[in-house]
Amino acid sequence: MRERFLTGYNDFVLPFLIGMVFILTYCAIGLIKIILQLPKEDRKRFFISLVNPKMIWKNIKDIFCKCLLHVDIWKRNKLLGYMHSSIAFGWFMLIVIGHIEVFLYVPHRAKLLYFPIFFRYFVAETDSTLGGNFLFFMMDFFLLVILSGILLAMVKRLRSRFFGMRRTTNLSFLDYIGLYSLWCIFPLRLLAEGFTADISGGSFLTKSLNHVFTAFLGNHTNMLPTWWAYSIALGVFFIVLPFTRYMHIPAEILLIPLRNAGIRITNARKGLAKAQVYSCPSCGLCIDACPMGVMKTHIKDTTVYLNRQIRRNNERRIEEISDKCLLCGKCSAICPVGVEGDKLRIAQRSIRKYGISPDYSSVNTDALIAENSFSAPSGSKVLYFAGCMTALTPKIRKSMEKVFVSAGVEYEMMDKDGGICCGRPMLMAGRVHEADEMIAKNMEIIKASGAGTLVLSCPICYKIFKEKYHLEMEVLHHTEYLDRLLKSGKIKVAHCGKRFAYHDPCELGRGCGIYDEPRAVISFAGELVEAEKHHKESICCGGSLGSLTLGFEKREAMVRNALGNLSTGSPDVIVTACPLCKSTFDRYSDKPVEDIAETIANNLTTSTKTL
Amino acid sequence: MKPKENIVVIGGGIAGLEAAGQLLKLGYNPIVIEKQDHLGGHVAEWNRLFPDMTPASEVVKRLIDQSSEANIFLNTEILFINRLKDRYNVMLSNGISIIARILLFTTGFRLFDASKKEEYGYGVYDQVITNRDLEHWFNNGNDKRIDASGMKAVGFVHCVGSRDEKARNPQCSKVCCITAIKQAIEVKQKFPEAMVYCFYMDLRMFGKKYEDFYISAQRDYGIRFIRGRVSEVSENIDGKVIVKAEDTLAGKPVKVTLDLLVLMSGIVCNPDSAKITGMIELPLDTDGFLKSRDNVADITASPKEGVFYAGSCTGPKTVPETLAEARSAALEIHSYLKEK
Repeated sequence: MRERFLTGYNDFVLPFLIGMVFILTYCAIGLIKIILQLPKEDRKRFFISLVNPKMIWKNIKDIFCKCLLHVDIWKRNKLLGYMHSSIAFGWFMLIVIGHIEVFLYVPHRAKLLYFPIFFRYFVAETDSTLGGNFLFFMMDFFLLVILSGILLAMVKRLRSRFFGMRRTTNLSFLDYIGLYSLWCIFPLRLLAEGFTADISGGSFLTKSLNHVFTAFLGNHTNMLPTWWAYSIALGVFFIVLPFTRYMHIPAEILLIPLRNAGIRITNARKGLAKAQVYSCPSCGLCIDACPMGVMKTHIKDTTVYLNRQIRRNNERRIEEISDKCLLCGKCSAICPVGVEGDKLRIAQRSIRKYGISPDYSSVNTDALIAENSFSAPSGSKVLYFAGCMTALTPKIRKSMEKVFVSAGVEYEMMDKDGGICCGRPMLMAGRVHEADEMIAKNMEIIKASGAGTLVLSCPICYKIFKEKYHLEMEVLHHTEYLDRLLKSGKIKVAHCGKRFAYHDPCELGRGCGIYDEPRAVISFAGELVEAEKHHKESICCGGSLGSLTLGFEKREAMVRNALGNLSTGSPDVIVTACPLCKSTFDRYSDKPVEDIAETIANNLTTSTKTL
Repeated sequence: MKPKENIVVIGGGIAGLEAAGQLLKLGYNPIVIEKQDHLGGHVAEWNRLFPDMTPASEVVKRLIDQSSEANIFLNTEILFINRLKDRYNVMLSNGISIIARILLFTTGFRLFDASKKEEYGYGVYDQVITNRDLEHWFNNGNDKRIDASGMKAVGFVHCVGSRDEKARNPQCSKVCCITAIKQAIEVKQKFPEAMVYCFYMDLRMFGKKYEDFYISAQRDYGIRFIRGRVSEVSENIDGKVIVKAEDTLAGKPVKVTLDLLVLMSGIVCNPDSAKITGMIELPLDTDGFLKSRDNVADITASPKEGVFYAGSCTGPKTVPETLAEARSAALEIHSYLKEK
């Protein structure tokens, strides 16, 4: 292998070089900006995580699996996974092998940014070696892999259904420029390397192409224009990259270590929020996932469009999209890069200015403390907090009381005669201060009660109790509590032979990760049939209080869609574990809808004398 | 002599009976199809009617007498209806099929299922009943949930499943305001010592003498009217129900302990009429009731040839309105057949 030009330079490398310098500068500035925007403790935490060997390994592994191999997308759809990893991993391999070639054959050129990219223009093959052939073969092989990925990407633009996607994102103008330049890069590279293959050498792809070219073009006059075109395509791609969805490629490399360091969104637009917004690849998987998607009019209210509007600083649309969302969290659960659509929206809501701020700090809790305190505090005593939503579905509260009596536990119904909201609805509305005040009040009452266990019926309460309350007692959702009572034999139920479809409430399933206990509980009382989409793919009932602006008439289609999903296994009864899901479904369902507590209370076999 | 023209009257409530009586007088042969085992529909289950406290049984009896010569099929449902060239073939569950040029829908309404508003506790707490349960009790004095001995406080909740988007019925049921006042007065007459509360959004006293009734309820019977919706109902250890509501005039929440709570179930379209209209593709209006050709000028005519409506199948109506509409439909049918 020898160099063809003494200078090792040709003007055609300029477009690439300009693009490359631009994007590297842009990313470096962005990186510094985001890190500076992090709160002080978060920044410290982040730096410490970067030198922790365990975390280094995790970060490398995650970046490799997510950014290059796209393991999550493979799990979702094989074809979609192949399309992504062929381009990302293939390109990565081209860069790696390109550098190896430069280091092996022209090590003095290694400091030139462009040399590995345009290697085959600058060299001529003098002798054919096994190692050289192997490298050339690898280069052609990965080029072929990428080209197959590009072909699939073209098919996907026309028929996204083949890739398991019903709908995909509408691209912006610059996204199209980025897309077309990306599509052009590799066919142009093939063309350029094909023209030079008889000089620089090549393998099965480039060599064969070269034979075809020489057969009817006959000379090398077409060589330079193709190398120019290849370089321009790269240059254009790098220049538009920061303004397109392809910004997700560098952004995700930052997002992964940030997430692994345990950093949370604290500012609506800065720091982690910004990293997430720029990591959004506009793939549109969240469009199909969004429960609002049953109506075409809401497609533009999905997370992918929220990210786009935040990047454009379109305040009117940001507010609209943030307020409409049900906060079911499904987009976050399925997002391949880990954009937290629900938390991002809550953060947008939290910067809103309100004319009136209610004050809960002056609420007097003396009466509630007196009512709910056990005379002799003990770890075995149970405090039951029904929550506001359960107050509207008294059957659940009655059923739980029946269970407590049957199990023979000493219990107190904390909010039977009024109580204070758990604060989660306020938090969902982005009003953190008000929520904190409510939390403080409820903690006063609960801490004074002397109970050892707190049982909750509403997953909305449960989530905030788990995350924001600091109680020195066990906090259980009633599904967990029932599971424990049934497994320990404290209560017994008869198997009634009915088929039960279980609906995973958003806040309990995706929100708190409780999937197994309710299923175990139901299996005691009857046959569990799964819905078409379940566990983290479960569809929001449509009644969520996460949305600040969706009216009832808009929600109907969502409720019906969720009910249709639950009816696939033709169950006799639809069971849920959330009072809000229950009352929402009950309005539209032709099948009976009940809470898991009712299912158990109705089938109890031990004596229940007092109730 | 030409045989009398058959007219199929679907529903043997007061609208069906009144129309049948009028059609008999006009020289037709009305055939009344009733799903239940008795005539008179909802009114037959009621005790007394506002504003003059007329016994409902008297009204129903007069209507039955007046239509006694009509063909009446009780316990009968419609299996299907076929459209022939210019007439309809109606197949009944008792095996009879009728060919007629005219179908008159008097399918009426259904009371909203109060257990769907779980927060009000119907079917959960024993002390919660509906307006219909109360009328039953007026009629036969037999209801385990009503303990006549210690009745100290009774509440009425207006607009249950009515003017309620959450309950999927945003329409006003029209008659419950006055029914609640009537029932509140009746309860007060039975239990003069008891406090009676009405929880209302606003009172729609539109009919003849309704306002007098309302004034009298306040002045002569001391019934307390609280403006505001009930938020939730719970039970205390003594087996009484606790109602939480907002008094929007005083601007604060109220909590009342009651021995009996009566829910004024609203009016929704009878699901059976939707089933039958499906057979001949009659449209439903946006409020869920049957759609008239014109809601102002032609309320008794359907958009289909030979199909007419009377009574509350097109929307909530009072008894006198229903009867007037039944007469009007009979006359409409008569002129329609004359023109043919």
